[in-house]
Amino acid sequence: MAATDIQPEPVQIDFTKELLSSSELFQRRSRSHKIPVRGQKEFLPNYSVQQKACLQKTLDEHWMLMTEERLERAGNLVNAEWIPEEKIVKLQSPAGKFWQTMGFSDQGKQCLFPEEALYLMECGSLQVFYQDLPLSIQEGYETFLSAETVTFLQYQVFGHLKRLGYVVNRFDARPSKQLKRKWSRSPSFRLCAKKSTASPEVSAGQHKGEIKTSVPYSNLETPGQLQRQQTFQDDALKSDPESDRAPERNWWTNVSRQLQPDSLQTSEHCWDFSCIFFPDLGSYSGNRACLPPPDPSLLPGALQVSECHLAHWHRNIHLKEECWSKQKWQRDQERNRCSINDDQEVCRCRNWVEYLELLEKRRSQQHNERPTHLGEQEVMPLAQPGKCSSHRELLEQVSIIQSYDLLVGNSRLPGSDHWRITFNVYQPDTEFKKSYPGKPYTHLCVCSFDGPVPDLHALKELSFQSGDVSVTFAVVDHGDISFYCFKEFKLPTDVY
Amino acid sequence: MYGMSTEAPEKAGDEGPSSGGGAGSGGGSRFDLEKETELRFEVEAGERVQLELLSGLAEVFGSELNRNKKYTFGPGSKIAVFTWQGCSLSLSGKTEVAYVSKDTPMLLYLNTHAALEQMRRQAERENERGPRVMVVGPTDVGKSTVSRLLLNYAVRLGRRPTLVELDVGQSSVSVPGTMSALYIERPADVEEGFSVQAPLVFHFGSTTPGTNIKLYNKLTSCLAEVFSQRCEVNRKASVGGCIINTCGWVKGSGYQALVHCASAFQVDVVLVLDQERLYNELKRDLPHFVRVVLLPKSGGVVERSKDCRRETRDDKIREYFYGFRSTSFYPHAFDVRFSDVRIYKIGAPSIPDSCLPLGMSQDDTQLKLVPVSPGRDLTHHVLSVSCVEDDAEAGESRSRGILESPVCGFIVVTAVDTQAQVMTVLAPAPRPLPRHTLLIMDIRFIDLK
Repeated sequence: MAATDIQPEPVQIDFTKELLSSSELFQRRSRSHKIPVRGQKEFLPNYSVQQKACLQKTLDEHWMLMTEERLERAGNLVNAEWIPEEKIVKLQSPAGKFWQTMGFSDQGKQCLFPEEALYLMECGSLQVFYQDLPLSIQEGYETFLSAETVTFLQYQVFGHLKRLGYVVNRFDARPSKQLKRKWSRSPSFRLCAKKSTASPEVSAGQHKGEIKTSVPYSNLETPGQLQRQQTFQDDALKSDPESDRAPERNWWTNVSRQLQPDSLQTSEHCWDFSCIFFPDLGSYSGNRACLPPPDPSLLPGALQVSECHLAHWHRNIHLKEECWSKQKWQRDQERNRCSINDDQEVCRCRNWVEYLELLEKRRSQQHNERPTHLGEQEVMPLAQPGKCSSHRELLEQVSIIQSYDLLVGNSRLPGSDHWRITFNVYQPDTEFKKSYPGKPYTHLCVCSFDGPVPDLHALKELSFQSGDVSVTFAVVDHGDISFYCFKEFKLPTDVY
Repeated sequence: MYGMSTEAPEKAGDEGPSSGGGAGSGGGSRFDLEKETELRFEVEAGERVQLELLSGLAEVFGSELNRNKKYTFGPGSKIAVFTWQGCSLSLSGKTEVAYVSKDTPMLLYLNTHAALEQMRRQAERENERGPRVMVVGPTDVGKSTVSRLLLNYAVRLGRRPTLVELDVGQSSVSVPGTMSALYIERPADVEEGFSVQAPLVFHFGSTTPGTNIKLYNKLTSCLAEVFSQRCEVNRKASVGGCIINTCGWVKGSGYQALVHCASAFQVDVVLVLDQERLYNELKRDLPHFVRVVLLPKSGGVVERSKDCRRETRDDKIREYFYGFRSTSFYPHAFDVRFSDVRIYKIGAPSIPDSCLPLGMSQDDTQLKLVPVSPGRDLTHHVLSVSCVEDDAEAGESRSRGILESPVCGFIVVTAVDTQAQVMTVLAPAPRPLPRHTLLIMDIRFIDLK
């Protein structure tokens, strides 16, 4: 049994005390390693015995967990050394399975970021030495976490996501990665650039992806512009429907719309029905019971026919008596009362052109008679009745706030240090490769529950940094982590 | 028209039971008609009847018969052979009824034609446009027949009238569910009707205007606009005028649609068949310079049942794909990937008025294009292939275009494979589809027989 304590060497004095007997070892190893489940969160104490007991039990479990000594086989532990100048941890023995998702190589040496090292220490996979002495987990927290590496809040989020299985690594905010990549070859640069860089290997590996990602960057402006251009075009088309329709209308002739529309139908034109005889049974009267035979030249095959007697047909016309309900009959009568030809103005019209002009004139007059309470006062309705002919138009008119694209116009924004993306997060089940991480599942921005809610400026800035990957806010409330994100949605522009 | 040839199919000359020749031979019966009388007959279901003009002159709905030529009429045909001068005819095959009638309104119709011809002459003389005639009336009064008659008479005098077919249920030009216009250059074939060489067809999508009256009126205006454009550049078309054949729906919105049509086409003459009430209403609602004429219906008009109408519709679609009497065309069946086509339905479900803001009308939902995701329920539906350019941009400007674009052809979905994301279609031409914007009809066609 090559089992030993986590800190075997420095504590020489109580050596015997620190050694475990085989039975003790067995007992500890077979203990349940499950983290006790915490129940529902209660927000206010109600001073009941039950609540108190429940709380106490949870606390006890928690403390027990914290105080428990964790055992690992010495052979399973990977040894590493803390380099405070570079704020990294260099491995001294070959890395374990964690190397698939963590760490980076630097000049042939395997290195870990402090948050990774701390997490692995907590997992019991790593032992870190500083000045040839092993660090306890508590010391790890004190040494590794700082504003220059990752903060405590950030580490809490990191650890939380790692325990859930996500692949988490540092986010590289620099837009010009390629340039930095060249510099990062020299270790002296890394000393000062460490603050916010991802591992050089990762960024080197991203080189392939960079070509891709650089395209969205340069394109950030374009989709919006294109859209705008399109809408302008649409507007232009809408405002000039004639020009829009004309080219579509060429299936019968190519010379449409070239001629004056009413060149043939002059407004003088009218038919003289007093000398054109229709066999109209409706206007039948005794003295015109007989139609003279039509001129043979009007008929096909120069037919010669006799005169046409209407009397016979008039008797036989099918006057269908329809069943009307009384109400319908009344309504019908009401409609019957007014013929449009009783109108003097209509009577003066000689043809359709004049008649339609008259109708149009009346319609526009009606349009102008608007209710007085609209449009007279200081407070005006956003949309005037009758002004809109479609839902789309109406929605355009009533929209006070123009819809806003987070990605438009970002490059001109002054940067701020307060909000920045800390981590890339990848889905657990994907085949993650450090050399080619691909597009992250989300970008993580860590903030405290006590801090301010991000404003529009911050959102814009973050979404610019993030590109086409969504930004998730991890809000840490004294160890409880909740995730929020702002969803962009389009206001409806039309009704379907 | 996409895939539509104008050649008359081979006449099934030797299919009838009689070998023809003399009167009364081989079961044929001879009819001697006096002048201004007509022979009416109906062909029994599943039978064919052969008609031959032995002597004299006769016409079928205005198209003259050739002497000693056998005309075959299929099952369910209802034919009237009229003679102005007197003739003798031979009829062979099983007829349901066959009788000679003296009581025909043909003289009235002829006088109507004479009046229209007078107007055309005046138009020619004064460089005006010719008469625009709307034929209205309830169902089964012979609107289509009167239209055909007047068009035949006009074209026989060398005019070039236009038939505007607004009867979406029983279109004589294209498949049902469409509204169309046809420039008439020769009299209708006795058996087949007018040659559909280059009709202008708009997609309506249903067999009754009531399903989307807004669209119906819009397409009416569209047709009117196109017709006017043609009149501007084609003097003959302008003088020839048009005959508008309408639906038999003459109440409520149907009546409003008639008034709308009259004003859209700026009609000069309205022929009301057999309904005095409609006549009076139109006299009241149309301006005085529109001549409204009440005409009787012919005693030979037969009422068609719902089944009969459906069958006629089915036959019309079959004729589109397989040609007259399913002999002349050979349609193609091929697969179309869902991703290659865009299928739309015209008309969104309406929103209750209470949900609408001030000053909004609900009407325009009827003109909305709703994308249809292809699925199993597409099977057997007739789809119109819109003429609209494939690369037209999506959005509002485009939806106007699709509505107002004519149709270049029709296809029927015969099978849908949702797994492979393809549908099998019956099309008059081989692949590929000429355009990829499809409009779905309510009408189904099951490709049997």
